[in-house]
Amino acid sequence: MGYRLRFILFCTLYSVLCTLSAQAVERTILVGPKTIGKAWKDNIVLESRHFAEAKAGDIITVYHDRAKGTAQGAFQNPTNWQGVAPEYAYFGIKGPFRMILTDDIVKIAREHGIAIGGHDYRILYVTISDAADYQETIVWKGTPVQMKSDWSVSAEIPAKSFANLREGDAVRFHISKAQAGASIKVMDFTWNVIDRTVDGAPVGGEAFNWYILDNAPLLKIQLAGGGMNTALRVSGTGYRLDKIGIVQFVGEVNEDISQAQRAPKEYLLQPGEIFHGEKAFPNDWSGNLRISAAPFQKCTENDVLLISYKVDPAAKAAGVTPQLSLRNGQTWDEITGAAEPVWYPLDGNDVVYLFDAVALDAVKTRGFILTGVGFTLTRIEILGAN
Amino acid sequence: MRQHFVLFLLLFFTVSCTATTPTEDPVVSYALCNPKATTETQQLWSLLCAQYGRNAISGVVANIDWNTREAENVYQWTGHYPALNVFDFMNMHASKDVNPSGWLDYSDMTPVREWYQAGGIVGCMWHWQMVANNGVNRTCSPGTEPGQTSFDASKINDPSSAEYKQMVKDIDQVAGYLKTMQKLGIPVIWRPLHEAAGNMYEFKGGKPWFWWGAQGAEVYKQLWRFMYDRLVNYHKLNNLIWVWTSQVGDTDWYPGADVVDVVGRDNYYALQYPLMKEFNTLRKLYPNKLITLAECGNGDDVDMSLWSDIWAEGSRWSWFMTWYDAAYNRGDSDEHQFAGPEWWKDAFNSGVVLDRDEVRGLLK
Repeated sequence: MGYRLRFILFCTLYSVLCTLSAQAVERTILVGPKTIGKAWKDNIVLESRHFAEAKAGDIITVYHDRAKGTAQGAFQNPTNWQGVAPEYAYFGIKGPFRMILTDDIVKIAREHGIAIGGHDYRILYVTISDAADYQETIVWKGTPVQMKSDWSVSAEIPAKSFANLREGDAVRFHISKAQAGASIKVMDFTWNVIDRTVDGAPVGGEAFNWYILDNAPLLKIQLAGGGMNTALRVSGTGYRLDKIGIVQFVGEVNEDISQAQRAPKEYLLQPGEIFHGEKAFPNDWSGNLRISAAPFQKCTENDVLLISYKVDPAAKAAGVTPQLSLRNGQTWDEITGAAEPVWYPLDGNDVVYLFDAVALDAVKTRGFILTGVGFTLTRIEILGAN
Repeated sequence: MRQHFVLFLLLFFTVSCTATTPTEDPVVSYALCNPKATTETQQLWSLLCAQYGRNAISGVVANIDWNTREAENVYQWTGHYPALNVFDFMNMHASKDVNPSGWLDYSDMTPVREWYQAGGIVGCMWHWQMVANNGVNRTCSPGTEPGQTSFDASKINDPSSAEYKQMVKDIDQVAGYLKTMQKLGIPVIWRPLHEAAGNMYEFKGGKPWFWWGAQGAEVYKQLWRFMYDRLVNYHKLNNLIWVWTSQVGDTDWYPGADVVDVVGRDNYYALQYPLMKEFNTLRKLYPNKLITLAECGNGDDVDMSLWSDIWAEGSRWSWFMTWYDAAYNRGDSDEHQFAGPEWWKDAFNSGVVLDRDEVRGLLK
């Protein structure tokens, strides 16, 4: 092969590598804000289109703020609201949280999308990035340690393993033989939990990632001293620890958000409002909205409930009659106590509901559930009789 | 003119009495179940009865087990200590007097004694844990999963069984701590075996969520009466005011008027209107017992009503006890999950809630 030919081949290969490298970026797929409030009531589904080219190893990252100390995140299958994998059913969150796609998760994502749920935080934006954006270096590979059911076993990891650990990295615990209910607990050299995100966190599959979101755990590792001094004690139950790696982000960030999904606009509730936003009640009857009894505590008979909505144009085309019904928040019976549910046909005008004594008692005791089909709910307001 | 003055005085006293006297005083029996109750217990009981319907006695539970951490929170927020601190024997298996590697010591009465000496009312409850099916953990949750316990409470009728012996051993251990309190002259609001019916009466498919309710109402009542007999007659504990916790709708589970002094309700959907309904229901069912809000706080999807609103709606609970927030107490959360500063400030500003100093003054 002549020099010229080798040069051309080299240039071609280099350009291909550069192109591949350029594709290895973190891309925004959802722009918030989307509030994930109390009691696991809120979620948002990442549309399936984002995952058309996704593959196992790709990583979803959820950036958020306003997380309470007890906030939890979840990645769920939108068809049954279960975790897409046991370890993603619920987990404590502090900084950005992530999920590594597996073949099974990719299948769910392509067919139905992925729901992000939990409680007590606000999603700012969500990204997807290629596995190639992350580079892992194995830093410990001792004798595998089987974690017993009584949490009595721990692996002692020397400080030298973490000499290159930096804020923003992840420590990846490679595990095997994970049983149902397996949990991991990572302690510092003083036997105290090093970070609350690894205090009995559920583990499953082949790895658990601990994200270093601030300087605090790094300081605790440094305090152990260097070299062979024990810096981390990895404990837990129901799994085997095989090796530990440090994962660092080496990709680029794509600033283009033109293809990103937008979260529904969020409104600050005004006095009297108990819902303001956009809540779809699709043709498959999957839409329900539960309102607690709290806003009705000082209501009196003859107060009025005003329900505003937009009729879904596709509903009529599909032969569906847009309608809604108000049900007892505990029993799902008709709110008035009637044997048969009352359906309000939706013709474009607001639904005006006047409380009688029975309905008032029901909403003040257990709230109500709004159910229906073929519309998007935009607002519910209590209008005082006086 | 003199007539006007007399009329004015009459009107003044009428208005004053109306303002401080509830429109409908609950009728209570002023006798405790245990006729041998100690003098201090009788005095506390008299105070509870005298205040019932007029004022609510403020209370908190300990942070998990054996401390006054939550009461300190309330003091930091409001400058008032709650009147009642309820300790929990849930970690008695880890008490250093029975377990050398334990992490707390129920035999050390310091937190109880200091609380009582400061004028506080002492309460005790018991999340009675049994060894889980996995043989390692401890739990109150019944079931067959590894983390649950299949402990059979019906064995309380079989003195030869291991379960019977375990229950007696545990009751006797708790009796030891309660007896120390008795020796110190401390009366105890005692609330064991709570929420036995679970959510059986809340919705179809509901179940008892503690093992002491898992075998049904009859076994539960036998266990309650066994415990009453063991503590009162066998161990001669005369410092206990017995509180049974109703799940509303569970009249079949009531152990009996002869072994219950107070009927409690635990509610974490603590909104003023449903609370008022539950209070009235319990008062009708148990007209000769004090009715109390034995546990309360914010729920998953609602925040508890302010105490001033709860009172205005017509509830007249004898006392209330708010729950602790472990994450808040660890510093992991800025917001108290169950009852935070604003709730407590409203309670003490309502004019119908007694703090520790006020109770101490009334007990003198």
